[in-house]
Amino acid sequence: MTIDFGAVLPYLPVMLKALGISIEVTVLSFFIGSVLGIFVYLGRRSGLAPLRWLAHGFIEVFRNTPLLVQLYLIYFGLPEVGINLNPFWSTLAGMTLNNAAYTAEIFRAGIESVPNGLVEAAGALGMRFSQTFRFIVLKPAIRNVLPALTNQFIVLFLFSSVGSVISLNELTSALADLNQRTLRTLEIFTIGGILYYLTSAVIAGSSRLAERYLFRW
Amino acid sequence: MSTPAMILAQDIHKRFGDLEVLKGIDAEVDEREVVCLIGPSGSGKSTLLRCMNALEKFQKGHITICGHDLTGSKTNVNEVRRDVGMVFQSFNVFPHMLVLDNLMLAPMKVLKVSKAEARERAMALLEKVGLVDKAKVYPTKLSGGQQQRVAIARALAMQPKVMLFDEPTSALDPETVGEVLEVMKALAEEGMTMMVVTHEMGFAREVADRVLFMDNGVVVEQGPPREIFDNPQHDRTRAFLSKIL
Amino acid sequence: MVTPLLSFDFGQFMPPLLRGAGVTVGLVLASGIAGTIIGVVFGIGRSAPLAPVRWLASIYTNFIRGIPILIILLFLYYEIPLLFPYATFSQTITAMIGLSVYAGAYMAEIFRGSIQAIPRGQLEAGEALGLNYLQKMRYVVLPQALKIAVPPGIGFLIALVKASSLVSVIAATDLTRAGRIITSQNHAPLATFLVVAALYFVISYPLSLLGRWYERRLA
Ligand SMILES: Nc1ncnc2c1ncn2[C@@H]1O[C@H](COP(=O)(O)OP(=O)(O)O)[C@@H](O)[C@H]1O
Ligand SMILES: [Mg+2]
Repeated sequence: MTIDFGAVLPYLPVMLKALGISIEVTVLSFFIGSVLGIFVYLGRRSGLAPLRWLAHGFIEVFRNTPLLVQLYLIYFGLPEVGINLNPFWSTLAGMTLNNAAYTAEIFRAGIESVPNGLVEAAGALGMRFSQTFRFIVLKPAIRNVLPALTNQFIVLFLFSSVGSVISLNELTSALADLNQRTLRTLEIFTIGGILYYLTSAVIAGSSRLAERYLFRW
Repeated sequence: MSTPAMILAQDIHKRFGDLEVLKGIDAEVDEREVVCLIGPSGSGKSTLLRCMNALEKFQKGHITICGHDLTGSKTNVNEVRRDVGMVFQSFNVFPHMLVLDNLMLAPMKVLKVSKAEARERAMALLEKVGLVDKAKVYPTKLSGGQQQRVAIARALAMQPKVMLFDEPTSALDPETVGEVLEVMKALAEEGMTMMVVTHEMGFAREVADRVLFMDNGVVVEQGPPREIFDNPQHDRTRAFLSKIL
Repeated sequence: MVTPLLSFDFGQFMPPLLRGAGVTVGLVLASGIAGTIIGVVFGIGRSAPLAPVRWLASIYTNFIRGIPILIILLFLYYEIPLLFPYATFSQTITAMIGLSVYAGAYMAEIFRGSIQAIPRGQLEAGEALGLNYLQKMRYVVLPQALKIAVPPGIGFLIALVKASSLVSVIAATDLTRAGRIITSQNHAPLATFLVVAALYFVISYPLSLLGRWYERRLA
């Protein structure tokens, strides 16, 4: 069989639609997971020791086990205790928890990287803790975490492909499907790879643009 | 003594864990007085200064500053700090704000001054420190000397009654030290009450009303600069001065 | 919650799970080593004096890091038999190739960063001593870069342990696949995958500790 990209082009709309689902589950899990991540970070800094251990345990467990196994537990395991989630919600749940564990660490590093001298200078000017956080710490901290957050967003997007294993019809699932139907492995996966790559590149590029626009110092 | 002292520290003891850093310090700064604090590194100069605006707590002794008693746990540190300006060795200008915004932030948020008034005050201060043309610039674009002048103006924007300086020129390139000392000298001439930790003996000799020599957590001797520099009474003072001059 | 957990027969199912864990560790080691070698070569390639070498290295590292590991694995799984219809390739080999290609790109990026982190003065000092390009790399740049690369390298190894679970999708019998096979027999996915997750944790967590220890030692 000769290489013929023309033969698989008609399937592009199918792929793009599936890509839409990949993006949807990524965006949702990123935002919900990041909010959760802020709470996990606060838990780590809490004055209550049990809360600190809980947050720490959560982070370590999710950072040291594969997303695929987490999805198996959610999708195949939870029904045993009466919780039935469809592939979309299972994938969303797994990715959200995963993202929370990673962003909690990113937020910690970002806030710790703001020089203590700035906090002291704000204190010496009579600013309250909440004012210091809002006006002095927040912006530099966001600037410091943006590259890591962007990276995490891209990694999360790429790992949304794992949803295909529990039959979420996102891009990887669509590619495997089209591959079976057309047997044009090289063409299908090349176009699929390019779609993934372009999406990642757009995310990275937008982040850099945002960085230039938001942080001019 | 006609007026009560602006700063009065009595028998201050301060320890970090097992390390006793201040071992019973007595110090006094009167209104419109400029006091320079000198001494070897590690002797506790910064710690003493930081105790004076409640950046550090101390275990024993009394400090009153601008009428605030720092000893009671009820003192509102933010109220103290409104009256006490501080300038750090490492500038600590806010990198994410324009120079003008650095000067306007605390007056607006802490003193609730209107934006227009804060701006007017900020521009006047920039004029004074010679940085009017840098108002709309990010501080990261400025030299060390310029950043430190911004930091001084930022502290002055709160209209403090006392200014504390912790080695304001130690982190500067030699060629920008002068411009910062000029600003400080002008401030002293206007009658600002100042306590300055410094290694600039020329400045201390010229501007200070009194010099305190600290070593190893105690004030070893104090007096007019002429006496301390030309006729030190203690061996430790002599040893320090011979190294630094 | 308790009953499904207790139903797991450790005596019967631990041996296949441990064999699977062995395959996982073997795959990660093999592709980790291969990836490091690829990474050093392409990481240096990113700063090579020849522009086409730089482009090639840059395309490889950036493209692979922009697509999912699962896509790489599935592509190899379907494409290798088309290219070599008569070769009998074990899925473990396919998995190893896929993971190595994947690891190579990330390691290359880590080395690129490490090389960039070396102060320019070091290169200039090397040049001033009359070292040529290869000598400069060999004696000045690489030893320092390797040291800087250790913490992020360990970080990536942890990611690789987890990514390796995806080889189960292309029928390589790693830890995850062993778990799937067992659930088809005992119909107890909750207990089985909790044990599988625990085994992954046992493999990965010491690497986390090692990374943290090394970073503290550097600091
Ligand atoms: N936050 C701190 N924790 C523990 N030790 C400190 C701290 N700050 C200062 N010290 C110690 O206190 C001593 C005095 O420090 P400092 O006041 O900075 O001296 P100086 O300003 O005269 O150089 C030093 O030995 C220093 O190591
Ligand atoms: Mg000091």
